[in-house]
Amino acid sequence: MVLTNGSFDAHRPPRRELLDDCVHCGFCLPSCPTYAVGGEEMDSPRGRIYLMDLAERGEIPLDRTMAGHIDSCLGCLACVTACPSGVQYDLLLEATRPQLERHVPRTRRDRLVRRAVFAVFPYPARMRVAALFGVLYRRLGLRALTHRLGIVDRLPAELRAAEGLLPPVKVRSLFRRLPARVAAVGERRLRVALLEGCAQRVLFGDVNAATARVLAAEGCEVVVPEGQRCCGALNLHAGLEDDAAARARRLIDTFEKAEADVVVANVAGCGSSMKEYDRLLADDPAYAERAARFAASVRDVTELLAELEPRAPRHPIQAKVAYHDACHLANAQRIRRQPRDLLRAVPGIELTDIAEAELCCGSAGIYNLVQPVAAEELGRRKAANIEAAAPDVIATANAGCLLQVRRFLGRDIPLVHPIEILDASIRGVPLERARR
Amino acid sequence: MSWAAELTEVLGRENVITDPARLRTYECDGLTGYRVVPAMVVLPRSAAEVAAAVGVCARHGVPFVARGAGTGLSGGALPVADGIVISLQRLRRIVEVDPVNLRAVVEPGVTNLDISKAAAPYGLYYAPDPSSQQVCTIGGNVAENSGGAHCLKYGFTVNHVLAAEVVLADGTVTTLGGDSPQLPGYDLLGAFIGSEGTLGIVTQVTVRLLAKPAAVRTMVADFATVAGAGDAVTGIVAAGIVPAAIEMLDNLAIQAVAASTQSVYTLDTVAALVVELDGPPDDVAEQFEQVQEICRAHGCTKVLVAEDAEQRALIWTGRKAAFAAVGRISPDYFVQDGVVPRGRLAEVLGRIAAMADEAGVRVANVFHAGDGNLHPLVLYSEAAGEHDRAERLSTEIAELCVELGGSLSGEHGIGADKACSMPRMFGEDDLATMLRLRSAFDPGGLCNPGKVFPTPRLCGERPGRYRPHPLEEAGVIERL
Amino acid sequence: MSTVTTYRPTTLRALRDALADGAGGRLVIAGTGTAADWGGAPEYDGVLDTTGMSGLISYNPTDMTVAVQAGMPLATLQETLAEHGQWVALDPARAAAGATVGGLIATGDAGPVRHTFGTLRDCVIGVTVVLADATVARSGGHVIKNVAGYDLAKLFHGSLGTLGVLAEVILRVHPRAAATATLAVRCDAATAFDLGARLIHGSLEPVAVEWCDGTLLARFDGTPGGVEDRLRRARELAGSDATDTADAAADAWAVVGALVRGADGDTVVRIGTAPDRLPALAALVDRAAAEHAVDAAMTSSPFAGAHTVRLRGGAAAAHAAVVTALRTAHPATTVCRWTDGLRAELPAWGEPPPAVAVLRAVKHAFDPDDRLGSGRFAPWF
Repeated sequence: MVLTNGSFDAHRPPRRELLDDCVHCGFCLPSCPTYAVGGEEMDSPRGRIYLMDLAERGEIPLDRTMAGHIDSCLGCLACVTACPSGVQYDLLLEATRPQLERHVPRTRRDRLVRRAVFAVFPYPARMRVAALFGVLYRRLGLRALTHRLGIVDRLPAELRAAEGLLPPVKVRSLFRRLPARVAAVGERRLRVALLEGCAQRVLFGDVNAATARVLAAEGCEVVVPEGQRCCGALNLHAGLEDDAAARARRLIDTFEKAEADVVVANVAGCGSSMKEYDRLLADDPAYAERAARFAASVRDVTELLAELEPRAPRHPIQAKVAYHDACHLANAQRIRRQPRDLLRAVPGIELTDIAEAELCCGSAGIYNLVQPVAAEELGRRKAANIEAAAPDVIATANAGCLLQVRRFLGRDIPLVHPIEILDASIRGVPLERARR
Repeated sequence: MSWAAELTEVLGRENVITDPARLRTYECDGLTGYRVVPAMVVLPRSAAEVAAAVGVCARHGVPFVARGAGTGLSGGALPVADGIVISLQRLRRIVEVDPVNLRAVVEPGVTNLDISKAAAPYGLYYAPDPSSQQVCTIGGNVAENSGGAHCLKYGFTVNHVLAAEVVLADGTVTTLGGDSPQLPGYDLLGAFIGSEGTLGIVTQVTVRLLAKPAAVRTMVADFATVAGAGDAVTGIVAAGIVPAAIEMLDNLAIQAVAASTQSVYTLDTVAALVVELDGPPDDVAEQFEQVQEICRAHGCTKVLVAEDAEQRALIWTGRKAAFAAVGRISPDYFVQDGVVPRGRLAEVLGRIAAMADEAGVRVANVFHAGDGNLHPLVLYSEAAGEHDRAERLSTEIAELCVELGGSLSGEHGIGADKACSMPRMFGEDDLATMLRLRSAFDPGGLCNPGKVFPTPRLCGERPGRYRPHPLEEAGVIERL
Repeated sequence: MSTVTTYRPTTLRALRDALADGAGGRLVIAGTGTAADWGGAPEYDGVLDTTGMSGLISYNPTDMTVAVQAGMPLATLQETLAEHGQWVALDPARAAAGATVGGLIATGDAGPVRHTFGTLRDCVIGVTVVLADATVARSGGHVIKNVAGYDLAKLFHGSLGTLGVLAEVILRVHPRAAATATLAVRCDAATAFDLGARLIHGSLEPVAVEWCDGTLLARFDGTPGGVEDRLRRARELAGSDATDTADAAADAWAVVGALVRGADGDTVVRIGTAPDRLPALAALVDRAAAEHAVDAAMTSSPFAGAHTVRLRGGAAAAHAAVVTALRTAHPATTVCRWTDGLRAELPAWGEPPPAVAVLRAVKHAFDPDDRLGSGRFAPWF
């Protein structure tokens, strides 16, 4: 018997037994954002698995058609949550994307966009420069001008998306750095190492500061390992396996030195990819074991706090909060209850449900930059659903979601990371002030 | 102009699919054993576009198959090789919820569950709840006359649809039914519902909504024998109680559920009954006690009463995911859908077990016990070469149901899957009379051809021989 | 005029032979004659009397299904079922006059519990029919849940004897409730609709809500404790005008039946509308009746969208004017009883339904020579 992988090459193709798990029941369809938008079978989890299956049998080639439908997937993994048969779509997707990267040349435009994204986002310094341009662009009234002149409307969709996603950050916060160590308040319970993130530390330095304060208040000694670089989440989710693996090795090296009990992330996308390091580096004899140990020590900040008996008293905050599930938290890490429980424990907070809560907001890593049309429709839909719930505050635990949702909100509703609410509550200051 | 070019012009390039790889994702529905690649898939965005597409087909004699979410389990949405698939996934608007008149108007691509979600703010819901309700569409429900766990008390799709806007096979649009169920003339709507897409394509549906019952009580009762569980069902019904649902799961099904979700079922019980009562609180409370007594009287070993909505949801999530969950304990399986008179439940389960032993494959049972609708799941391994044996057993089970005075299908439909078994249940004149109805709607036979009715091409020169119905043999009915 | 042949078969075989024998003559199908007047007046050479086919074929209380010959009077069937604490969930006024199961399907008739249980289309699970060319065909079966093949029973529902003869019918039955009680409230149509809606939205689950001649009747079925509780809560919602004595209820329901059946000289029409049309329809009935000096009474199952209007007194032309006014506003109107001379004043049917072309095609497919009930649906077809 000859073993073949059909149209896939021999390097980690999607596994036959994983493909066979799908019984074609269709329970995944309503959870899929691209299916919600277009209603086409090929742009649904069931359809994508069908294409992978056909390719694995050699019945269809790896070409731009197939790549288009795999590219269109946000990787939100809502389908994994919805699937009653336990199909591991995450593994199938991760196996298929690198194959397509290897075998299907991208269009020039697509290449350029992706190259630009990967040249900026994983590098905080470059990110800071880009963000600085963004601040100046606003400050100098250029944004208003380009909008008034209709220049924005004539930009390519990808650039228009990037323009729209620019958050209103302050120059000061662009350069904010966390101290290398924050001592635990009271008796130390844990030593935790905090991931600063790339875009996160530039655009959401406030969230990092709040994270460190809350952890400290709850008895954690927080260390912020020096020289930490990008975790590789963007590369991993885009099918750039080798880049992702290289970044993973480096991050493990950096964090092992911190000798912490727990590695904490406050960006859902980063946390989920760090929890996958064991799989990513399984074939690397030098790292396999260390990667497994590292992955097992990773916690989302809300996950960790939910494990700790609360110590710091919470002061009331009167607000109706809409909690938006970040896909990489809810689906990839299965963390749904913990952030909600933490918020509910704050006196005065009323949590409200969002319609179509399981549907991705369209941010999905770099998705809103490389698939701007679908992302825009999903963003609008999410924003409309949130507005319908009429919250005072929106909380979500992922940088990408914060940017994406803010872009499409019609009304000016404050968007925060749940940890910022906790921080304000513990410090007993109003939410608006805590964020300054 | 060729029909393909005409369709592309009418619908726009972005709403037709002709690429071979993409077309293949439409080659089957929820029943993957049958696959046919269509010549084209079209995705109209309005009833007018559906009518235009059908009009082109009618002029060129091109067969067409409507498709909703593609979750059907009888191959009802199986494409025709030289025909087109008309996907209704872009007709997903909830046109209106009318709480005063207790109804909602929706497009066919709206999912069953989304209707209830839209009605929920008014304290209303849409009663039929097929297990796939979160994904299956109301258009598909109309085509298949879908039921669900709660149809024992509340009936099927046909009992809850007031009107349907329909595109006929010649491309004209008409309305069947209307504002009231009391309309003069033949009940064309009733005949259309459950016709499995062979009489036309529904483009808008008006459904009836019910007020949510004031109380819902749900329990799981474990039994040491399947017969005991079956007798308890009979006992409950004999006591004049109409539960909202009575479902049975056997041990194998319970194991599958446990492998899939957070399960509330006892892992080692032989059989479990899920009994749900709903209605006014006092009535429900009184009868709920009674049901528990009846279960105990029939040897029930343990009763779990759902404490809250969350626990009730867990019971139902497990039950509704059972089919797909079987994928966790077996590489391949067939889902069967026969019906027997309720009084013969224990008998048929015994015979299925014996047949399974003989065939050397496992059969899991999860079904609507209240109305005798069985869903035996025949587990097999394609790799181990068990396919043919399992398929034969599955067909034999359906035909056994007919032999016991029941039906080939309770809710999944005949579709492509069981068309060749139809002569076991109906005589030539019966089928010919049904075809008269078809010819009145679709004289050219373009609308979902090859489904429901046996054809020589499908079933060989002579479709399966008619065997006298047992009631006929017993002299209860006569066939002339 | 030739003499009219009458066939009175007692078996399916004899029924088939009768249709085969007819030598192409036109037939009218007749049961006990309680709905002979409905719609158009058919032309015929022979009468096919179904009252000889009135036997019970099989009844298994455990399965909650019963098979009967279609000529069995519903009232007779209900007596049999009552011995086992069961019933066919249908209470048409005509049952008291001997209406047969087949006739009730052919007319799509029902009574107040249509509010919960619908019409016979919702209870029939199988039929055997004989077509004009003597083809015998079955659909459905003996089980409640069944989607194999087309459901011919639906097609014959409302067919008024124009598609074929219903020979045998299999029905699902329901358990009889342990207790029943009725709340009666004197009120106008708008109040009745409002109160009915509050009972429904309040999840009190009335099995019937009927507004008859200025009184809202809400019937509750269930366990003794449950019915008592709901009746109490309904009374609270209704306010001081409510009565709930058993005698008063029985009288009130008797009024509904008598109104629907009508009497010689009356005109009775059945109208289907959306539920919230009740107040407007009631106003229209009052206005038209006053204008044409006719005595009008009406009973409605508003939430099932079914209304019956009885006209009494006045000339045929006055009845015609009122029916025309009703039909113009609500095309889904069937004249069930015609006062003398009314047929000369009025076509049998008003505006045809949108799918009339399909109705015609179905009629043609089943009875191409128009042998059965010819003219019943004229002028539609």
